[in-house]
Amino acid sequence: MPLFEARNIQKRFGARVVLEDVSLSVEQGAVHGIMGPNGAGKTTCFNVLTGHYAPDGGTIRFAGRDIAGMKPHRIARLGVSRSFQIMNLFDDTVVIENVMLALPEFRAMTFSPSRNVFIDRALTDAALEILAQVDLAEKAWDKAASLSYGQRRALEIAVALAARPKIVFLDEPTSGLGAEATRALAQLVRRLRESYTIVMIEHDMRFLFELADRISVIHWGQVIAEDTPTELMANKWVARSALGELA
Amino acid sequence: MISLSDIPARGGSPFTPPMFVFLLALATAPFWLEAVGLYSYLGIEITIWILYAMGFNLLFGYAGLHSFGHGAYLGVGAYAFGLFQNHVGVSLWGGLLAAVLAATIAGAAVALFVAHRRGIYFALLTIAFGQVFWFCAIKLRWLTGGEDGLLGIPRPDLVIGPLRVSLQENTSLHWFSAAILGLAMLGLWRLVNAPFGRVLQAIRQNEMRARFAGYDVWRIKWLVFTLSASVAGLAGGLFAMAQESAYPDVMSLHQSGLIVMMILVGGGLVSFWGPVLGVLVYFIARDIIGGITETWLLWFGLMFVVMVMVRPEGAAGLAHVVRARFARAPVKTPVSAPAERSA
Amino acid sequence: MYSLIPHIVNGLTLGLLFALIALGFTLIVGVMEVINLAHGAFFALGAYFALATIGGSWFAGTEFGIWWSSLSPGARYASGLIFGPLCAAGAGMILELCLRPTYGKAPLYGLLLTFGAALVIEELIRLVWGTGEQSLSVPQAINGAFLMGGLIFSKYKFYAAAFSILAIFLVWLFLEKTPYGAIIKAGSHDSEMVRALGFDLGKLRLAVFAFGAALAGLAGVIMAPIWGLRPHIGIDVVIPAFLIIVVGGVGSFWGAVAAAMLVGLAVGITGAYAAAWSMLSMYILLILVVGFRARGLFGRKSALEN
Repeated sequence: MPLFEARNIQKRFGARVVLEDVSLSVEQGAVHGIMGPNGAGKTTCFNVLTGHYAPDGGTIRFAGRDIAGMKPHRIARLGVSRSFQIMNLFDDTVVIENVMLALPEFRAMTFSPSRNVFIDRALTDAALEILAQVDLAEKAWDKAASLSYGQRRALEIAVALAARPKIVFLDEPTSGLGAEATRALAQLVRRLRESYTIVMIEHDMRFLFELADRISVIHWGQVIAEDTPTELMANKWVARSALGELA
Repeated sequence: MISLSDIPARGGSPFTPPMFVFLLALATAPFWLEAVGLYSYLGIEITIWILYAMGFNLLFGYAGLHSFGHGAYLGVGAYAFGLFQNHVGVSLWGGLLAAVLAATIAGAAVALFVAHRRGIYFALLTIAFGQVFWFCAIKLRWLTGGEDGLLGIPRPDLVIGPLRVSLQENTSLHWFSAAILGLAMLGLWRLVNAPFGRVLQAIRQNEMRARFAGYDVWRIKWLVFTLSASVAGLAGGLFAMAQESAYPDVMSLHQSGLIVMMILVGGGLVSFWGPVLGVLVYFIARDIIGGITETWLLWFGLMFVVMVMVRPEGAAGLAHVVRARFARAPVKTPVSAPAERSA
Repeated sequence: MYSLIPHIVNGLTLGLLFALIALGFTLIVGVMEVINLAHGAFFALGAYFALATIGGSWFAGTEFGIWWSSLSPGARYASGLIFGPLCAAGAGMILELCLRPTYGKAPLYGLLLTFGAALVIEELIRLVWGTGEQSLSVPQAINGAFLMGGLIFSKYKFYAAAFSILAIFLVWLFLEKTPYGAIIKAGSHDSEMVRALGFDLGKLRLAVFAFGAALAGLAGVIMAPIWGLRPHIGIDVVIPAFLIIVVGGVGSFWGAVAAAMLVGLAVGITGAYAAAWSMLSMYILLILVVGFRARGLFGRKSALEN
């Protein structure tokens, strides 16, 4: 049984149909890529899958539970985590707190007034461990707002990982990164795939084809093709309609 | 740029030196207030408003929910205290409990309507609801005494076990209010330094991210609104005792705006102590500028407008800036030793 | 049923006047994304300056003063009707200039600054005109009452209603049929676009603030003979304006007008049964609308929600 499965997802905004019929199935431990031209509905698709919008039709199952229409915080607590394409951090505070806030053990003590935050070794150690995964441990006590663009991207991912998710949705992780930073990110994703199931939207074809096990091509709110990278390369129709526009 | 979210220097300790200084000043106020040309009632007034402002800043500064109708809960507390004395029985604890309960219920009910909102829309709705309470206070004449309000509210004796202390004197009421403020302050300090306080600030900084990190943002916003209404209710109960009356004026938009002004002037957006500074500045300005000219609010208002234009972080923010200028380069904290940082 | 007619007429009149106040307010919210708490203060300023113009007491004793008082009440009223809103517009422009440092920061600062400004203006009014209640006299022609179908109606209220309809219509024409209106409407969705179209956003904001303030001032002049004039009248009127904006949906022209009429009717009809509670119906309406339709009757998603 797949870990995460969406069937015939529909989403309309008023009269505009953004997702007409999207189905997606992700096996445990896989890296699943989503690609497609701008405006194809990729980010909307993520927003529906992670609960930001309720779908107008279709089913979403995660680890055997129906999660369609659930509130985002409920879905997040089940072990679905995501990063954002546009940076979405806690900017007034330090790097480590961004990660701490997302730790499930921190969340569990939200209403325990006797607990401490920054002098709780267990918490800071857990957060530092996550930060070390994305090479940000050195910057742990710096302001999140003071990080460079690439570091902020890495922090985005760290916050998503801090939730100790079963599945991570990454929305265009390479967006705005230079060649070197993209290579470093590819390394990171390779490491992460050992322990997480990953779904990612990606513009960078080389990046995606190198890392993904399967790729869904979304166009006009529909999945027009889904296959392994190798098969997809061979598919002339896909190459023309979607890849051609992007490459 | 400084903010409330900076790592607190003493996040773990339940009691800090500034708190000691403040509580000492508060406790000794009756002895020196008159010597510096002020009067003993001012001490009570300042104490109560600090309590109100600190509870309000939990909502306003920490959670970033900009309520412009918070006077309503102070008023509800004051009326509840008065009504309890008039209709149920003369009792200090009973009255205060009634005040807190009434304000909590009122706050919880309004929070149901406003907890899913943010920003200016939230402010608009709180104004509207604040006006509903204010209007009811004026119109429910049989209950609230209309525009004049409830008059002749007694100051019940403080009874703890066999101990009975009269609060008729302003000094004794001052100490009683100061004790309550001290307890509330310890509680609020703990709360904002516990995970809850950090989560509130996370919601202020990025509600969407907080939601995707698994926090039930709606429930937390509802809770903090209700909590801050409860503190306002407690302050309202004390206020009814101090004034020996309860009247609709404290619930007006005007008054609700003034508390926001105090928070901002004092720097509630950047410091736990902001509300304290703001209330002090306001009352001292009222008495000093007010002693010189009738139109003191004009000058206070102008001062405020200029402040919003040039230094919106307020007085506490200014203190930070001054301190930063005198301090040497910031000390880099070793990653391996986060605990030392908060020592 | 027949006896309800005066209350309905009253309610509609009130609604039209509310609409006039709310329009300037919603315009400023829509374009600037500033909740202007000083809107009521502009209302008061307009009325007080009209009072000063009509009375002419500022130049009493001078030759101009003597000439002025020899003019007919109608002429003096008409000049008050023009001069009052103009002064309010001037104050609005000053406030907009003060607001500039707050643009791009949290919307809270605009709200706070206008609250401070409202306080200052109210105190200034106290200083200049005193704290007492004053009344604004109107020319004979529109004063008094008339009988219709056996019912007594106030002439002035009819005049006020007609004037409001005219003003609302002109504002609508301005917004819909002129290029300026198109820019203002663009601004209310997207300030990027205004810039892209090559318009000066600074001037647009200044103009919108002046225009909104002038509308408030105009409402003040029209309303003052009915409600009387006191320094804190600003706060009294800004509240209905608020409620109307929330009920109608922030930034929507017809939302504001429809909500104002609804509020006016609700107040008028409740007035027939429980006069003391007539204003409460406004709040109940608000809670009903907000409870069931969070964005108000005609509301769209707005940047203000962030």
